[in-house]
Amino acid sequence: MAALGAESETRLITNAQQGDRNAFGELIRRHHAGVVNVVYRMCGDVQLAEDAAQDAFIQAWLHLRSFRPGSSLRNWLFRIAVNAALDVLRGKETTAEALETLTLADAAADPEAALSQKEQAMLIQRAILSLTETSRAVLVLREYNDLTYQEIAAALDIPVGTVMSRLNHARGCLREILKPEFRHRENEND
Amino acid sequence: MIEHVNEWLGAYLDGELRGLRLRQVESHLAECSVCHSELESLRNLSALLRESAPAGSFTPSERFAANLTLRLPPQPELPPSRKVLNAGWWLIPAGILGAWVFTQIVTGMASLVVIVSQAGLLGNLGTWLQARSQPTDWFTTTLYLFSGQMSTNSLTILDALNQAGLFIQDSITQITWQVVLVGLYWVWLASWWLRRRQPAANQETLPIRRVT
Repeated sequence: MAALGAESETRLITNAQQGDRNAFGELIRRHHAGVVNVVYRMCGDVQLAEDAAQDAFIQAWLHLRSFRPGSSLRNWLFRIAVNAALDVLRGKETTAEALETLTLADAAADPEAALSQKEQAMLIQRAILSLTETSRAVLVLREYNDLTYQEIAAALDIPVGTVMSRLNHARGCLREILKPEFRHRENEND
Repeated sequence: MIEHVNEWLGAYLDGELRGLRLRQVESHLAECSVCHSELESLRNLSALLRESAPAGSFTPSERFAANLTLRLPPQPELPPSRKVLNAGWWLIPAGILGAWVFTQIVTGMASLVVIVSQAGLLGNLGTWLQARSQPTDWFTTTLYLFSGQMSTNSLTILDALNQAGLFIQDSITQITWQVVLVGLYWVWLASWWLRRRQPAANQETLPIRRVT
């Protein structure tokens, strides 16, 4: 695997396009965190995100031969991931109910801080989920995956101007929803 | 009346502004406390979003990749027509390059034959050539020298090319051939660039299939 890890992404893609599962496994390993980040922020639920990530990679594997070498695999995967997350969301009841079950890994270490962190995470995730799908996708790719506007435009197949307007809209909505949280932070800073 | 730059603040924060627009926003922010405060608010929002950790733990990448690799279904075969199209796409520039090299060799050899013929170095052949029309010099010389070693098919192809005027030494014809080939190459190059430039737009939106 070490030798495989040193291979360039282009080589891995070419091999995977010819049916090499190990090469695709290495691509999964490299892009797993990014894809999970997208689907989790789109779904707001860890289990749904795992399902969506799995769907996304399987779809990528099945359609890999239509992927053109030279274009960005990461952006292509993100596009598939957004679709997978939306599909999973449409198939399941989530949002508030799922968010109630959120648990934190470090809850046992500092229950009070964990509770506060949990509440904040729920608040933010609820706010994100209240956005329209199109605005949410743009926001997630920008804020959680650091894609440029050009990359977001390519991944979602929309003009750069639309990326900017949707991002402005999403941020405006989030600021309204999260106003109390902002006040709380300002008080803490004072 | 001050014109605020609210609509550009997000792009400014994301480092997406360039040139005149960037300078315009920067100079406005230096003077306008309202927009400056708006920018801070956007910055706080971004920080708030980014610092909220995922509420739960995910399967580690190594394990996720290992598990999923074992469950991958077989990849669908490309239809034969698609394979032919893919191969043909890359054969186009190779064909154009081959045609260009061929015309260069042909015109070069034709010029050489004429020079040698005019210098009287071809002996009896030179006299024979003078009785023929200039455009077919290269063809008749090839036939004279190599006809014994060429198959009937090769001679037929050469004859067809000669009839098509490929061996004509007229400089306008030579230039026309080259312009046509260069034009074809540029058309192919432009379409290749367009395909590369808009990968996402041309790749299908993938349907989702649930894994069982």
